[in-house]
Amino acid sequence: MSASHHLLRLQCVRCVSHFLGTPVRQVILPGRAHLQTPGSQHIYVQLLRPFHRSAVCSTDRQNRTDIEKLVEDETHHKDKTLVTHDDIFDRAAGDSKTKVEFNRVVDVFKSKDIRRRGHVEFIYAALKKMPEFGVECDVTVYNKLLDVFPKEVFVPQNFIQRMFNHYPRQQECGVQVLEQMENYGVMPNIETKVLLVQIFGEKSHPIRKFQRIMYWFPKFKHTNPYPVPHVLPSDPVDLAQFSLTRIAADLDAKITIYQYPSTDITETGEEITRPHIVGIQSPDQRSLLAKHNPCKPVFVEGPYPLWLRQKCVHYYLLRADPIPPEEKVEEEIDPEMICPEQSLFFPQRVELDLNVDMGDDHSFNVDEVEEGAVYAMCMAGQGDQATLSQWISGLQETCPILGQIPTVFRLESGPRELQTSTDAHQRPEQEAETDQIIEDDEEPRHSRGVKQ
Amino acid sequence: MSLNKFIVLSRSVRRGRNLFAARVAQTGEYLYQFQSQRFIRSSSRSLAYAKDLFLGKVNKKEVFPYPEISNEELEELNQFVQPVEKFFNESVDSAKIDREANIPPETLDGLKELGLFGIQIPEEYGGLGLSNTMYARLGEITSLDGSIAVTLAAHQAIGLKGILIAGTDAQKAKYLPKLATGEHIAAFCLTEPGSGSDAASIQLRATLTEDGKHYLLNGTKFWISNGGWADIMTVFARTEVVDKDGQKKDKITAFIVERAFGGVTSGKPEDKLGIRGSNTTEITFEDTKVPIENVIGEVGDGFKVAMNILNNGRFSMGGAGAGVVKKLIELSAEYAGTRKQFNRRLSEFGMIQDKFATMALNVYVMESMAYLTAGMMDRPGLPDCSLEAAMVKVFSSEGTWICVSEALQVLGGLGFTKNYPYERYLRDCRILQIFEGTNEILRMYVALTGMQHAGKILTGKIKEMKKGNLGVVFEILGKKIKDTVQTADFGLTGKDGVVHPSLTESAKMFEQNAACFGSTVEGLLYRYGKTIVDEQLLLKKVADVLINLYAMTAVLSRSSRSISIGLRNHDHEVLLTNTFCKDAHFKNNYMLSQLQRYSPENDDANIKKIAQDVLAKRAYICSHPLERTF
Repeated sequence: MSASHHLLRLQCVRCVSHFLGTPVRQVILPGRAHLQTPGSQHIYVQLLRPFHRSAVCSTDRQNRTDIEKLVEDETHHKDKTLVTHDDIFDRAAGDSKTKVEFNRVVDVFKSKDIRRRGHVEFIYAALKKMPEFGVECDVTVYNKLLDVFPKEVFVPQNFIQRMFNHYPRQQECGVQVLEQMENYGVMPNIETKVLLVQIFGEKSHPIRKFQRIMYWFPKFKHTNPYPVPHVLPSDPVDLAQFSLTRIAADLDAKITIYQYPSTDITETGEEITRPHIVGIQSPDQRSLLAKHNPCKPVFVEGPYPLWLRQKCVHYYLLRADPIPPEEKVEEEIDPEMICPEQSLFFPQRVELDLNVDMGDDHSFNVDEVEEGAVYAMCMAGQGDQATLSQWISGLQETCPILGQIPTVFRLESGPRELQTSTDAHQRPEQEAETDQIIEDDEEPRHSRGVKQ
Repeated sequence: MSLNKFIVLSRSVRRGRNLFAARVAQTGEYLYQFQSQRFIRSSSRSLAYAKDLFLGKVNKKEVFPYPEISNEELEELNQFVQPVEKFFNESVDSAKIDREANIPPETLDGLKELGLFGIQIPEEYGGLGLSNTMYARLGEITSLDGSIAVTLAAHQAIGLKGILIAGTDAQKAKYLPKLATGEHIAAFCLTEPGSGSDAASIQLRATLTEDGKHYLLNGTKFWISNGGWADIMTVFARTEVVDKDGQKKDKITAFIVERAFGGVTSGKPEDKLGIRGSNTTEITFEDTKVPIENVIGEVGDGFKVAMNILNNGRFSMGGAGAGVVKKLIELSAEYAGTRKQFNRRLSEFGMIQDKFATMALNVYVMESMAYLTAGMMDRPGLPDCSLEAAMVKVFSSEGTWICVSEALQVLGGLGFTKNYPYERYLRDCRILQIFEGTNEILRMYVALTGMQHAGKILTGKIKEMKKGNLGVVFEILGKKIKDTVQTADFGLTGKDGVVHPSLTESAKMFEQNAACFGSTVEGLLYRYGKTIVDEQLLLKKVADVLINLYAMTAVLSRSSRSISIGLRNHDHEVLLTNTFCKDAHFKNNYMLSQLQRYSPENDDANIKKIAQDVLAKRAYICSHPLERTF
């Protein structure tokens, strides 16, 4: 609210300025704005330096202790070193790098020097440090950063200034702030606009940049038909459910949780952790599996990676080789029931020796590569064979035929994607097992077919 | 009946004459003539009206003049009609039947006494032995109560029709007498729990016992009208049949099953929107032992039997719908004539008048179509009127729905209450669009059967054209040019015309549409060939045009007859005919232009896309209008 009020007021100010000369304006108008505030002395100062009014008393006493000192140090050393503001964040924050700390540094900088000397450098440094503090996606922090710019100084006052690049470094810096917002997908809000208008004026480069962002961002906001939420579920079972429904892309597919993660302590004091096993299967897949030729093996394959924003999860497939064409059985429906001469069921064909006319054939020539059917998918806390065979035996409850089909485990040793160290602990512990057929006595339920 | 007898008699006389002539000729010639006579007889009904419209042909002999019944038949019919009408007006409490979802036994007894359970069963088996036309007339009255109409229809239009059409004499003698009196009630068991209109959905299995004398039935049937009451059921089941190549195949076979055979259990009656008094249940068969004598027709021919039963039963829905709407016109007209608003009667308002016109037009068309079709079916021989019957069903079920809704609208809020019968009729008539083949399936059936018929004949020509045979191309081009220069003329009007001169304009419109329809069908076949099956939106339009064409034929034929013999108010009929034909003509023109290649009127691609988008997400996918992005 207040932000838009500001905007309105600024616009009024503009209107009035048409009647008054530019030099006069600077003196009179801000004064007008402050006519109500008590303390004429204050007003006098403000009259002279109008653009500083927002910086007045923005910090409290406690915050201005050591950081202030630091900043002071910075300014003293300023003439000697080129890199000035980078360290201040590091030193100020110490161990805890949070939004609060970041804001505190910005506040201190603002309150330290009424002239905001070196604010461009400070803003660049702050932009660089934002990801470290984890505030790179926070629009309020960006607004706070923009607030560091002194107001109304860089607003062009006449057409010559407007024609040329007025205060290029500052404008560039403003654009840079917006650019970083853009890169992190942060949508500017009305406060951003108010600030930019106050700082750079209506037709400046940062405002143009702002307008472009506001044109494109909303348009692109929903381009992804399969959006991933910003905050992923932290529970591995929930995450697995989310990822599996995402891959399955079948609204009928049903999730089954075969095992919840749990930790047991045996009598001997050993700790046994049971990993979670979450599977998904659609009715179509189930009926395909039911028709599978029991003489042919099915394969458990994986792990395959799936990226969800910053996170990588792994899934496993139960699939079969494609059926060779000579073994395909085509289901015949009684021709009597689908021909056009009957009105009970749906007429599904006409017996004509005619095909689509060449001119009307709008279909594309598509080469179709046949692949083996995928019967089910799962995600598990551990990628070892024991866990996955638990999944298979769980599947047997709905697909009893799986008991007669030999199951072959083709597990890769580990994820094939590069991972950062933070993701490393999510990587399922893999055992190097390739093309290993389970022995009969180990898993008697689902490998009867491969007795050797 | 007597008409049939007369025609059979005249046939035999003719044959006798032939025999006589043949005696003069040589023996060989005699044989030939005899055979050819037989040939002509069996093919005498090969002319099909609706199917030939697909070829751009109008077999006017099939539909002109409008079929009539003899004076004796009419008298006989009126004898039945009066008591039935009296019974329905005085003894049937439809509101109660609807409320209690049950037809009281005394009402059923009354119906039985009137012989309404055996309308079409021949007199020798104790039925009334009425023709299709007369059945349709009685259907107009019985339809005044939806529940009773459906109960009766399930009993005789489909339930026992199998025995009537394809049963052996022994089967007829055993079952029909008791069915005719209503002592036994029949049901038709075809639909199964698997999706209703899917070919693979018949799972009920009949297995031959070891002694080879019985079948054991196992399985479940769904939505069986009269399921709870029926004593005799026509059941369709899968049986194993060894075909010519010695391979075993599953085929459908029809059985007559008595409840007394054992193992038959009915479920709870369904709670329905309309026709609440009718008894719709699930029926389960568990090792029901059916003797092989109870197979209807041949083993493995069940599907044909089912088709014949259904195809022949549908026409009566036209009469039923007309009966309901005629009654509602009376009721709502009385209201519109007495109710005053702003010091004017409701009937003086244009928009109310519009509703009555719509109702009158629809009833007129429904009646005309129903009795034209019934008349065609009553002609001797084995008439193939399945297309016509399906069209009558589609048109009248939708027409009835519109008309009942309009009648309700005339009363406004009052019509919405249970104090008036409108809401009940509205609920009851909704089922017409669903049962005995949904309107969607029937449209596909009508369009594809016709396409198949036309395709068989046009294939050769189109193939030649595609090959680039110049002779054929020129021939067709010449025909096209001739068609565009000359207006279409099938000889309905003019010197030897069959349509009354006062309907000339309408007849011309019909001819024009029919000619255009023929060439459009040809174009569609040329464009799509056998892949036309997948173009359901086009087929729907084809079916709609055909239904309109048949409706135009029916009203033209009927009103021509009315003028010629001077029926009361025939000038009103002329008015209705001309209005309907004009309306249908422009609708047809629009649809036919949609069927042309690259037609700007045709929005099928967009419609498909919309549906696909919605169905992919299984929801309405637009953002809410209050939603914002920044």
